[in-house]
Amino acid sequence: MAPLLELSGVYKAFGGLLVTSKLDLVVEEGEVVSLIGPNGAGKTTVFNLITGVYRPDEGSIRLDGRELVGMAPHRVATAGIARTFQSLRLFINMTVQENVTAATYGGTRARMWQSVLRTPRMRREEREVREIADDVLGFFGERLAGYRRLQPAYSLSYANRRRLEIARAMATRPRVLLLDEPAAGMNPRETAEITELVARLRDERGLTILVIEHDMHVVEGISDRVVALDHGVKVAEGSFDTVARNPSVVEAYLGRVEEPA
Amino acid sequence: MSQVGVDEWVARAEERRERRGGPLGRAEAAWDALPPVARLVLFAALVASVPFITDSDFVIRVGVNTLLLGMLALGLNIVVGWAGLLDLGYIAFYGFGAYSYALLASDQIDVHLSSWLAILIVVVASALLGLLLGLPSRRLIGDYLAIVTLFFGQIFVEVVVNLDRVTLPGSDSPIDITGGPNGIPGVDPIVLLGFEFLTPTDYFYLTLGVLVVLIAALYLVDNSRTGRAWRAIREDPLAASLMTMPVKRLKLLAFVCGAAVAGLAGTIFAALQIGVFPRNFETPFLILIYAAVILGGAGSIKGMLAGAAVVGISFELLRQPSDASWIFYGGVLLALVVTVRPWRVLAAVLAATAALGLALHALLAAVWPEAVAGAPRADWALSGAIDNWMALPADPKAAGNWAFVALIGVVLWLTQASRRTRLLVLPLLLYLGSFVWENRLLLDPSVTRLLMVGAILIVVMSLRPAGLFGAKRIEVM
Repeated sequence: MAPLLELSGVYKAFGGLLVTSKLDLVVEEGEVVSLIGPNGAGKTTVFNLITGVYRPDEGSIRLDGRELVGMAPHRVATAGIARTFQSLRLFINMTVQENVTAATYGGTRARMWQSVLRTPRMRREEREVREIADDVLGFFGERLAGYRRLQPAYSLSYANRRRLEIARAMATRPRVLLLDEPAAGMNPRETAEITELVARLRDERGLTILVIEHDMHVVEGISDRVVALDHGVKVAEGSFDTVARNPSVVEAYLGRVEEPA
Repeated sequence: MSQVGVDEWVARAEERRERRGGPLGRAEAAWDALPPVARLVLFAALVASVPFITDSDFVIRVGVNTLLLGMLALGLNIVVGWAGLLDLGYIAFYGFGAYSYALLASDQIDVHLSSWLAILIVVVASALLGLLLGLPSRRLIGDYLAIVTLFFGQIFVEVVVNLDRVTLPGSDSPIDITGGPNGIPGVDPIVLLGFEFLTPTDYFYLTLGVLVVLIAALYLVDNSRTGRAWRAIREDPLAASLMTMPVKRLKLLAFVCGAAVAGLAGTIFAALQIGVFPRNFETPFLILIYAAVILGGAGSIKGMLAGAAVVGISFELLRQPSDASWIFYGGVLLALVVTVRPWRVLAAVLAATAALGLALHALLAAVWPEAVAGAPRADWALSGAIDNWMALPADPKAAGNWAFVALIGVVLWLTQASRRTRLLVLPLLLYLGSFVWENRLLLDPSVTRLLMVGAILIVVMSLRPAGLFGAKRIEVM
């Protein structure tokens, strides 16, 4: 069976700065893969390449065998890839509920005239949109429910903003979820919750997840497989234990230890 | 222990929401509690009753103009308030609609289409023009878009002024398309279902009908996927595109819808005015539309209507020196009541201002009668009092100009002065301001009313930065 998400020979440079080089990456359906590496290793660039924000200079990116290179970001998202952002990018002046319902745009069809005439099809769609909102916001229990649904997103606490980003990504009905440092800035308790959350996203929602994370406890807790990047090159791949002990990974994080002569 | 993320501060967020207190706040809350259809019917009934209350032609004309301003504000709100695109060429679509209708229904090129057909063509053509402007502009954001669209608005007026002697290839004699600076007179009235719209009252109801349909349509769009997507691309275009929204297409759609609304408003305007002239579509009117949008609170339908009412009506009132004087002195008094406390100080300031004026008037009358030889420009309740209080020179213009400069200087100095100094100088400032008003501003109502609208805008924006009905917005979190 073909992998769900497959990057092969992806090469990207900004001017003279090489950010990813001949990158091959495979994510199987239902897998949680962690992308690790020191700052500037090109992890977020990989996300931007997959989602169509950047276009690779060479190579191909396929979702379930379908080529994504050259597709506009909104088409990639509609095709089934959703993401969150390392620095939050919510629609801050819209309500919690609207943040989620806005993200159903690609999954709905009603034209503007249908919205004005309130055709039966449009009303059915709006009911579905509301159900999706109930569903994805309900996934977080009390956190995003109740009176908070009609609050503007800026009124949320930091941790809830991170949760809302995940809820918003879920509302696009993705097959692959790209999480960019979901535990960044969280306290230990919230970090533990994120670890559980990622497992629930895979087990209850059947999502395939590619996650960038710096917190090695989280990486250890959630990953089926770990891929380590350094300077845009894949330096190691495998289970958490093998990657963590890999000399290239240790070197990338800590630098080379000069052997005594 | 409370749950993580659920503390009292968060739980009581609703109570902290900015709400207006007092009767106004209760009225707004009661209004918002009504179902949308009831609100629309109430609004329509309220406006429709105006022609029954008055038979003054002037009032009805002001009413039609205000309703048209409301339509334009609603159209501009799609582009600016929802999609967040700063379109400074919006007035061109209004002018384009007016001129297109004038061409399709007048002797200018001797075409007299039926109103249905003409309106359909005008609206579609305006939408296409919106698409044309949108195509090159959809990649531009913020300031760059503003410059390009401003340019477009200026080009429109230039083109219209100069399209009166066009020589087509293969023809020798130049032809006149737009009538140049003289415009197109004698535009046909609108005829719908056998009814010929002739009087301002006819157009009042026509515009109101169109406006009601427009409000309903925009309300439904605002609460649909398109409305949500527009607001999302205003917040964060990149995030919106990664959440499945086609940003460029949505921007184009906003341009097209805004342009179509403006084109329709232009059609009604051309038929109402029985003619179109280039100066109807110049930048000052664009500023008025923006004033209505900003004052009402960009993004809110209710706000657009309130903004248009305030701007449209006060702008007309300021045309008459007598009405304008009420607004000026009333506004100054209101500002004093709000800012100068306690009331004893306020009374002292007012008394000092009155005494200063009377003393100065008596002194000038004794030593330099020329300086008080003029008469008040405005004929209203307080004219007699002002004649005895204010120095009104026989030739006010030069003195008024100098006083204006002095006024600006004093205001700038006072921003740096201490509170005590400010209070001491306040009577002088009030007198100087009134001097400028009586001797300079009242002489040029056309300029003064723009200044006054600007002043109203500044005051409202400093009290309510989001406009009358706009939601409070934050830019970074």
